[in-house]
Amino acid sequence: MPTLLKPASDGFAVIDRPVVAELCDITKSFTVAGGRELKVLDRINLAVHEGELLALLGQSGSGKSTLLRCLTGLTKPTGGRVLAYGKLLEGINPYASIVFQTFALYPWLTVEQNVAVGLLSKSFTAAEKKGAVGKAIDLIGLDNYHDAYPREISGGMRQRVGIARALVAEPKILCLDEAFSALDVLTAENLRQEMVSLWQGQATSLKSIFMVTHNIYEAVEMATRICVLFPHPGRLGLVLENSLPYPRNSTDPEFERLVNIIHETITMQALPDHPPEQAPVSGRATSRARSRLESIPTVPVSQILGLLSLIKDDQELDNIYDISNEIGKDFGETISLVKAAEILEFVDTPKDEVRFTELGKKFIAADSETQTEIFAEQIKKLRLFHIILAYLEVQDEIEEDTVLKDISSALPYENPEKILQTMIAWGRYAGLMDYDANTRMVTRPEREEEEEEKLVEKS
Amino acid sequence: MKSTATQLGVPEVKRTFTWVDAVVLAVVFGLCWSIFHFGSGMTVQFDVSRSPEISTDVRNIPYYAARTLLRMWIAFGFSLIFTFSVGYAAAKNRIARSIILPALDILQSVPVLSFLTITVTGFVALFPGSLLGVECASIFAIFTGQVWNMAFGFYHSLVTVPGDLREAATNFRLNAWQRFGKLEVPASMHSLIWNSMMSFGGGWFFVAQSEALTRFNKNVKLPGLGSYMATAVETGNNTAAIWAIVAMLAIIIASDQLIWRPLLAWADLFKMELSEAGQPPTSWLYDFIRRAYIFDWIRETIVDPIADYIVVFRRRSRIGPVLGFQSRRKIWMWIFRVAGALIGLFLLYEVMVGLTAAIVAVTNSVSWPLFLNICWLGFLTMGRVVIMTAAATLIWTPIGFWIGSKPEVARLAQPIAQVAASFPTNMTFPFVVGLFVALHISINWGSIFLIAMGTQWYILFNVIAGAMAIPNDLKEAARTYGLSGWPLWRTLILPSIFPFWVTGACTAAGGAWNASIVAEVATWGDKRLEAQGLGAFIANASSQGDTALIICSTAVMCVFVLLTNKLVWRRLYDYAERRFHLD
Repeated sequence: MPTLLKPASDGFAVIDRPVVAELCDITKSFTVAGGRELKVLDRINLAVHEGELLALLGQSGSGKSTLLRCLTGLTKPTGGRVLAYGKLLEGINPYASIVFQTFALYPWLTVEQNVAVGLLSKSFTAAEKKGAVGKAIDLIGLDNYHDAYPREISGGMRQRVGIARALVAEPKILCLDEAFSALDVLTAENLRQEMVSLWQGQATSLKSIFMVTHNIYEAVEMATRICVLFPHPGRLGLVLENSLPYPRNSTDPEFERLVNIIHETITMQALPDHPPEQAPVSGRATSRARSRLESIPTVPVSQILGLLSLIKDDQELDNIYDISNEIGKDFGETISLVKAAEILEFVDTPKDEVRFTELGKKFIAADSETQTEIFAEQIKKLRLFHIILAYLEVQDEIEEDTVLKDISSALPYENPEKILQTMIAWGRYAGLMDYDANTRMVTRPEREEEEEEKLVEKS
Repeated sequence: MKSTATQLGVPEVKRTFTWVDAVVLAVVFGLCWSIFHFGSGMTVQFDVSRSPEISTDVRNIPYYAARTLLRMWIAFGFSLIFTFSVGYAAAKNRIARSIILPALDILQSVPVLSFLTITVTGFVALFPGSLLGVECASIFAIFTGQVWNMAFGFYHSLVTVPGDLREAATNFRLNAWQRFGKLEVPASMHSLIWNSMMSFGGGWFFVAQSEALTRFNKNVKLPGLGSYMATAVETGNNTAAIWAIVAMLAIIIASDQLIWRPLLAWADLFKMELSEAGQPPTSWLYDFIRRAYIFDWIRETIVDPIADYIVVFRRRSRIGPVLGFQSRRKIWMWIFRVAGALIGLFLLYEVMVGLTAAIVAVTNSVSWPLFLNICWLGFLTMGRVVIMTAAATLIWTPIGFWIGSKPEVARLAQPIAQVAASFPTNMTFPFVVGLFVALHISINWGSIFLIAMGTQWYILFNVIAGAMAIPNDLKEAARTYGLSGWPLWRTLILPSIFPFWVTGACTAAGGAWNASIVAEVATWGDKRLEAQGLGAFIANASSQGDTALIICSTAVMCVFVLLTNKLVWRRLYDYAERRFHLD
């Protein structure tokens, strides 16, 4: 039983059970726009033992789903080996079943037929099939739904079908790919607890669960071991043993301690405490650029503005976790927002606190025209934006593809298309650039000249 | 395992045979009988000098109608086989795809009718002394008229199967057959049925045309509705002609009610959305068939036991896990590769031989001035196609919008427009031409009307579909701001109809090229009218059996069609996709 595992404080938990699946030195790259290689996973080593419930935590885009696909054999890693019960994996992992975030049920099959899909690879007679499917359906609480079609039942019930289909194939390891994130809070909570008791119980062949999630509470509530995946490129950041007895209570101090450790790890990774920047001095914007070329979080301008006015209205909100709870976004997304505000020098983030800078105060108090000007000024300080702005200084427009190529060589671990999309959105708000979808050109906005004149007058 | 019924507290009804099953069985046997009965007429003796006589006796119409229908279904069956095999190959294999997609694109633009005489010669040589040769040529014409868009549609659905559904199939280790049956065919079923319905509707035009054709200045007639009509017109038997039109309408409507409506109602099950549709299509026949027990009975007492037997047999003969799944797959992969390469080489060889022969024939007998004249005729026909498209657009866009914005009218009008589009208007050409003769209208202009008769409907029902798809909130917003008249059309209606119009107009223009072969030459009794145009040129070359001229003029028409597709329609599609996509 998982509770037998030694707690994390003893150093490494001694796990002498067989290893169900193991990733050895896994690297995975994808080809992105312009034929460039984008490295998503970088030398990952991870083993899932029998009796373990392993949670892999990470922000969206950190490569955690790719990791799950490597482990199940859906994706072939670019480098490294995948082992299934010690044997080199070729093709699909026969011991693993996946439960999908989107359920992945076949709409034209009834619940019963959908569950039977899990058995198709086995040669069963009709009676055997019926027995196995019936058992799985009973086990997962779908008794009255045999002949219903997926579109006729609720999201929670659909995911139960997904779980029954995965279990009927008698896997040793169940892989949950954000399995609860498309469900409402109550349904998800209910299903999480059922998953844990299924894994603890003896009714199935199940030995281990490998779950991928971005929900910190979910991971701490369910897992015996939690791995945090750092993004760009995906690499293992933190590994935590969690020996809390089930059922776990989120108000338990140990529970809170684990959540805090994870929070801090993610925050420190995303928002490292810089030495304070030198006070801005007058002169050309370029001279004040940060020395390192830094990426930008892909968040919309309106959400940055929303975040700022939220902190302004409620002085109590000075910490990332409270903000995350207040705006109802998950922690990773909140971090991205705060980071965007920090890059633009509107807020400062010592540890997990969020404080207005002088500029931020000025910005939030200003009228919309001044806001645009300040925003433009701040963008001009970002080295990343110089890629585009430098082109637009000498010509009226620049091909999207050229910019994409530049971005991907500057930020090799990021998705250049998403970055460019965000840059254009920010740049448009700041009145620094525009984009023509028909010609696929990033262009100089028409009003730029008069604005520049204004800026000259001011200085 | 407990069944649903007992759990819900409803007494379980034991399903048994009812009168519904008797009806279903009777229909199935009836169909089998008619296939053999009418099919036997296909292989009768045939001599080029004496083609079978077509009697204009009205009592023969059911027989002729059945023969026509049989032809349609055989062609459709081949289209399905082609669609599955070629669409699947294109979706699964990169090399096959790089050959198949461009080939389909070109074949799609080949005017089927111009090749009819050549294919007749080929098929007659294949089955000497039997009517089956001519029969095959007719079926081949229908096949080439309907197969391309089905194959494209199937390929497109195969490559757009949602990734998570594919991953689920892979994760649960479905083999290629299971994947095909459980995932790929169901996922493309909805589009397959829609495309089949449209293709089948288009097929009537070709069946009517290919049943009565002139070959080496001799008339060859296959027993069928099209040839019945042609004979009626030749002999001036107007009553018979009108009966033929009525019969044609009747079988088109019957096909819609008995085949396509039930299939569409069934296809609703295969929609990808997980939400319930607003108004699923209904069919009385589908509801009726669902009450039959016979299909469940066959599964329970025949299919399942056989499958079980195979499972048990396999288990006994092989103990322990089967030899490496991977290595077996590799063997199969190599077998497929070698077979594919052989077929590819054979096809390549055939194409090269045919192509060189054609080039030699054309260069020997077509002079430059003649070739330039053919090109000039191509421009004349293109002018007709453009005028037809423009006129149909101007007329049908307002009407289509009006119909589409009134749901109750649309529900009535849409099936009518579909039947009108299916109806082989070439059957009625002789009457219209008679009108032209009486009113002294030049066929040079009149042929535009003839072309429009068959093709304008595509524009109409696409505009109707577009108007129905305008979201209500956009309409309400327009009303709030008091938009009406031209500003309303410019800001809301035209942009939202545009993508649909492009689809309709492209189909209409493509059909128009084909129709020009029939429309630019017309006979009314002993009067023969001929317009200046590429269609008329092809028709003449075709009836004279001048192979070199046929090839050359057909190639020119293909180039015209391909160029307009690439330069006009493709761009309009992209533009519509980029700018006016409502999502």
